[in-house]
Amino acid sequence: MLKVIYGLYPDPDSAQRAVNSLRGAGIDPRDIAVVSSEPFEEYDFARRDAATPMPWLAALGGVVGGVSGFLLASLTQRAYPIPTGGMAIVSLWPDGIITYELTMLGAILTSLLTLLLTARLPNWRIQLYDPAVSDGKILIGVVNPPQDLRVELEKRLHGAGGTEIKEFALR
Amino acid sequence: MAHNWGMVIDLDRCTGCQACVVACRAENNISTVGEQQSAKGRAKHWIRVERYYEGEFPDVKVKFIPVLCQQCDAAPCEPVCPTYASYHTAEGLNGQVYNRCVGTRYCANACPYNVRFFNFYNPVWEKPLHLQLNPDVSVREVGVMEKCTFCAQRIKAAEIQAKAEKRELKDGDFTTACAQACPTRAIVFGDLNQPESKVSRLARSNRGVRLLGELGTLPKVTYLERDSWHDENA
Amino acid sequence: MTKTPEQINEDLLRPVFQTSGRFLVAAFLLGAFVVAAFATFGYQVYNGIGTAGIRRPVYWGFYITNFVFWIGLSHAGTLISAILRLANATWRRPVTRCAEVITVFALSIGAMFPVIHLGRPWVAFWLIPYPGERGIWPNFRSPLVWDFFAINTYLIGSVAFLTLPILPDWALIRDKANGWRKKVYTVLALGWRGTPRQWHRLETAMHIMAIVIIPVAVSVHSIVSWDFAMAPVPMWHSTIFGPYFVAGAIFSGIAALIIAMALLRKFLHLEEYLLPIHFENLGKLLLTMSLLWFYFVFAERLTVWYGNETSEMAVFWLTQRGSYAPLFWAMLFCNFLIPVPILALKKLRTITGTAIASAFVVVGMWLERYLIIVPSLSRKYLPYSWGTYRPTWAEITITIGTFAGMALLYLLFSKAVPIISIWELKVGLHKKAIGRSPLSAVRGQLQPTTDNAQPTP
Repeated sequence: MLKVIYGLYPDPDSAQRAVNSLRGAGIDPRDIAVVSSEPFEEYDFARRDAATPMPWLAALGGVVGGVSGFLLASLTQRAYPIPTGGMAIVSLWPDGIITYELTMLGAILTSLLTLLLTARLPNWRIQLYDPAVSDGKILIGVVNPPQDLRVELEKRLHGAGGTEIKEFALR
Repeated sequence: MAHNWGMVIDLDRCTGCQACVVACRAENNISTVGEQQSAKGRAKHWIRVERYYEGEFPDVKVKFIPVLCQQCDAAPCEPVCPTYASYHTAEGLNGQVYNRCVGTRYCANACPYNVRFFNFYNPVWEKPLHLQLNPDVSVREVGVMEKCTFCAQRIKAAEIQAKAEKRELKDGDFTTACAQACPTRAIVFGDLNQPESKVSRLARSNRGVRLLGELGTLPKVTYLERDSWHDENA
Repeated sequence: MTKTPEQINEDLLRPVFQTSGRFLVAAFLLGAFVVAAFATFGYQVYNGIGTAGIRRPVYWGFYITNFVFWIGLSHAGTLISAILRLANATWRRPVTRCAEVITVFALSIGAMFPVIHLGRPWVAFWLIPYPGERGIWPNFRSPLVWDFFAINTYLIGSVAFLTLPILPDWALIRDKANGWRKKVYTVLALGWRGTPRQWHRLETAMHIMAIVIIPVAVSVHSIVSWDFAMAPVPMWHSTIFGPYFVAGAIFSGIAALIIAMALLRKFLHLEEYLLPIHFENLGKLLLTMSLLWFYFVFAERLTVWYGNETSEMAVFWLTQRGSYAPLFWAMLFCNFLIPVPILALKKLRTITGTAIASAFVVVGMWLERYLIIVPSLSRKYLPYSWGTYRPTWAEITITIGTFAGMALLYLLFSKAVPIISIWELKVGLHKKAIGRSPLSAVRGQLQPTTDNAQPTP
């Protein structure tokens, strides 16, 4: 059972004020929900994600890809050795090209996969969202607010400039 | 010792009669393509006789040079084939595996001697020409590259025969269709790994030159000529 | 008048939600050409590859020209999107998606040609490395197999590079749509919401891909050029081919991008988003590439001429003075002599000016590919085997069909997806920007600037 009370803010400055106000009320940052139609990396309220190991994973994926490429070329050529043009059976220059391409492919696919997994996509179930976000509003809310603080929180959300205060409930 | 098939063509003996061309067509099931397609440059001649004219009338000299697949040891056509249809056999030949060919035609572009021929359409033998087909040789379908194989079917048949008779293959046991048909015996075929075979002895002649040898393809056909009629080469 | 987010949404989503009669007519006409091309290909498969004009010794003609041309064109997206993204050039924002779309579609079209030109296209799958009952794998020493790997890697990378940033815009359409559209876009949006975590991951992924896709693009066209350079054919076997082709690819890619942008601006009424400054900047890039292209051509031809090698000179004079001379000089006009003055003079470097220069460049680059491939093959080492190539109706129809197909794909794409990346555009409008250029949204239109590190207003 998920319950969120949130306000919609017309610009990032008021959203930041709302977050500051909620923090002032003693709300844990992990209980503050933010949804927006664009990234606001320069604002503190949007910089709430832990550092992602994605680049390292991509590099690892590249290494795996590269090794696979080299093994593909060298092992298959050795399994069925067919001489051509006086070249060595496992010729490093051409095999290097295959290795390179699969290295890059490995990095690309790993990034893609990591993105989908860590951003938890696809997820078509009902989640916290308000269509007004598409019109540029920023949603700032409190997840599962303690009952005794509800009125106080609503006042703070409103005071920071929230145009609408709504509740989202998911059973 | 493994065989290493090679050929010597004596240009001082060649009369340009093209009996080799005809014999090759008959032996290897090479179809004609018709007048229109020939005019478009799609005729197939696994061996062809190139004619070069020198001088002005009345002092015109004609040089004939039969050109066929040189079975290069460093063949540029082999590494470029994506499906290994063109590859180097253990007996020194450039093999063309029709079943593997997807028809990219890269090998034909890479061949400096232009000895590779493509089936632009399915080959046709109008009756009764179909009766002349050689049952020992396959017929290639549309989209497949073909070229001189040094009569691989004859090589194989001779090797099998010799093995059945439990003896070694002797020089002169068999030869290619073009060498067989040549009236002046300008074409000599044999095993370069046998130092006393006719082809090995002739290949060592001081009249010997290689066609486009400067390209580094290591061709295995040696041309014999007294006067050099083209640019110096290896 | 400042553009509010709602206005931006409305402007850029209009082509998605509204279909004009002109769209349907265009789609129908282009579709007809595409159908004709497919029918021609079917005819060619049924009757034999002889339907095309290729012959001995010119075994590659129009189809491979198109192959190289379209793969080259696909370098548009990479340059603009990836390099400008990494260089933090903010004027790229309205342009990135147009460019990335060109890449994906040009690559897809180009990748069809190796199959179209095959003698036995029904076994084209033998180039795929799979364990089969024949026990044989593709020949990794062959440049064509390198092509397979490179083009597929680039295609997968470009599709990812294109579609990842589309997710938020699909979410936008999902929110604005009704009926069947809502259902379709709900699925496509993958449940995207816009939490800081999702944004951060998305931008990190895009950053990584931008870094990776640039060397991939360089390798792709180098490998395509090596289809020629690896063969001992006069004026093919040249070490310059790798860089030469990559430069030419970027050149033709920018030209294609300018044309696409000019057409989109006119037909989708994006006058307030695709601004003269964008065309100016791309025009300057196009000018640079034209000069670079000329440098490569000059360096190559100077070396050949000076070396005076017999077989190479036969091809050299054939293009410069012989039967291919008209095409050669036309190419120089289209790629250099006409674009350089237009792009160098600020007065002429307008939207119309750059679009005209780009059109010439696209024609010129197609000619360049043709002139690299065909004259060399028609004059190889043994003069007895020289021959002339002439394209047939089949090759011409398929070529026209691919141009129509590109336009059609672009048309359909702009109906399914907003052609300007909405969220990226909005990010560029942020007033307070750390390490980003602020965009002045105060007086009149969107005015992108390229100077960084300005204090917040």
